[in-house]
Amino acid sequence: MAWQDDFQMKKGPGGQYEIPKFTFPKINLPKISFSLSLIIFIIIILWLVFGGYYIVEPDEKGVVLRFGSYARTTESGFHLKFPPPIEKVYTPKVTEVKRTEVGFRIEDPGPPARYRDALEESLMLTGDENIIDLDVVAQYKIIDPVKYLFNVRGPAATVKAAAEAAIREIIGKYKIDEALTEGKFMIQEETRLLLQKILDRYDSGLQIVALQLQDVHPPQQVRDSFKDVASAMEDKNRLINESQGYRNSIIPETRGKASQIIKVAEGYKEERINHAKGDAEKFTSILQEYRKARDVTRKRLYIETMEEVLTGIDKYIIEGKTSGVLPLLPLDTLKQVQGRGKESGGRSQGKEEKP
Amino acid sequence: MKKILLLLIGAFLIFFIFLNPFFIVYQTQQVILTQLGKPMKTIYEPGLYFKVPFLQETRYFDNRLLDYDAAPAEILTKDKKNLVVDNYAKWRIKDPLKLMLTVKDEIGAQARLDDIIYSELRIELGRHTLHEVLSETRGEIMETVTKRTNEKFIDYGIEVRDVRIKRADLPAENAKAIYGRMQAERDRIAKQYRSEGQEEATKIRAETDREKVVLLAEAYKEEQKIKGEGEASAIKIYADAFQSDPEFYTFTRSLEAYKRSLKDKTTVILSPESDFLKYMK
Repeated sequence: MAWQDDFQMKKGPGGQYEIPKFTFPKINLPKISFSLSLIIFIIIILWLVFGGYYIVEPDEKGVVLRFGSYARTTESGFHLKFPPPIEKVYTPKVTEVKRTEVGFRIEDPGPPARYRDALEESLMLTGDENIIDLDVVAQYKIIDPVKYLFNVRGPAATVKAAAEAAIREIIGKYKIDEALTEGKFMIQEETRLLLQKILDRYDSGLQIVALQLQDVHPPQQVRDSFKDVASAMEDKNRLINESQGYRNSIIPETRGKASQIIKVAEGYKEERINHAKGDAEKFTSILQEYRKARDVTRKRLYIETMEEVLTGIDKYIIEGKTSGVLPLLPLDTLKQVQGRGKESGGRSQGKEEKP
Repeated sequence: MKKILLLLIGAFLIFFIFLNPFFIVYQTQQVILTQLGKPMKTIYEPGLYFKVPFLQETRYFDNRLLDYDAAPAEILTKDKKNLVVDNYAKWRIKDPLKLMLTVKDEIGAQARLDDIIYSELRIELGRHTLHEVLSETRGEIMETVTKRTNEKFIDYGIEVRDVRIKRADLPAENAKAIYGRMQAERDRIAKQYRSEGQEEATKIRAETDREKVVLLAEAYKEEQKIKGEGEASAIKIYADAFQSDPEFYTFTRSLEAYKRSLKDKTTVILSPESDFLKYMK
């Protein structure tokens, strides 16, 4: 037999027994066919090719972990790496501005955008123990991708919770009237700073880009009363304006009247003086003429006057020197007769009684 | 030789791939290596590590800042006001071994956080009035609670980074009362504005009326003065003129008077002795 022959003690040339050579026993391994090894080879190649590179977009940064440990940060572009599980890459978007909302939810980004109020978030206590309703939007972005990826679990929820805490803390320092009006800017600033401080405390690698108060108003239940205050202010102004209007019309009108009165008086004065001057002039010129022929002028004036006067009036010429006889003139009856006569346009009827 | 190679490859595959002695600790993880159930070492640094299969096991823990969020609870302030407080806390596992030995895992930790944070909050809030909690010392209160809580958790291997009040509101019943108060306050302000307006308007109107009276009175005064001046001047003018011959003036003026006053319906009785009828004799 063959194998027995191998172990047969043979005698060598010198007559001694030789130790036979040891050979490995034949193990019948399954034969790996050529096609299978080809497939395995291809898989390995594919693994190297597909896992061996990565692309970082312009708005991203690449963070590479080698065996789970942070290895390097890469800029945008095409990069090579070892395929997983050796090296793994994360590409967070570092220029994207993310936003978190407190007090409302966006139902439809629009346009036009539609919102739904989240009252449990938006109602908060002010410093003077009033309740205010306000919505806040905080915008943030990744400023340190490594910190962002590995320091805080649930960064988005963290920002939201911190934002809520921050705005409530700041609002608690303001009175409601300030918060509704001139305090808005300060509130935004202070909240932004506080929120950033909180996020830095968590080493989050996030930066608050902007924080805006969207909608600040009194709660629904008291809105009408607040509106009424604005109306009241307007009413006050209106009342005052109306009274000013009254004043603006009365005073000038009165001044006008006053100057009118004075003008009339001055006119009267003028007239009076002129009239007087006229009369004086007249008198003076008559006087001058009179002085030239006194007696005659006197008589003439007298007779002219009497002529004018006695024409057209009732006259009775009665002898004056009657002693003892009281002249009785029944004027009443005479008047009646004359009255009838006058109606027919008659002149005076002198009754003459000659002594 | 080929056989040796194939054997080695087979052993390699079995050992490294199927039995898996390698494990990776990621940047966000920390691991406790246990041997036959007993903790051997804590691994904080990320990387590739080796363990003995079957004998050694790994327990993974998160090393990031974790979130604890409680349900809102009612807490009394120093001035006996009821506040509904909703707080959260940020914490991390500093020493996983201590954690494992005390509360076992995150869930256990959350339960313990619940107890301790709530009790610390109650104590601290009970030291301050509502007004203080709302405004001035809110930050300080949170700092104090954070510090105290952190101290209590050192033995658990936990670091409490921040305890923060997310919301501190008054209970719903109080809200109603507050709305009532706010409304009354606003109504009062509105009333005040309106009455101020009324007052001012009335004042302006009264002032206007007064001024009007004054203006007219002054005008009247001026008017009388001017008229008086006019009269005075006229008198002077007449006097000056008539002074030159008072007798002639009397004469002509009387004639004028006769002309004017003796008109129709006047009855005159004349005597033939009169000057006028002188020539009638």
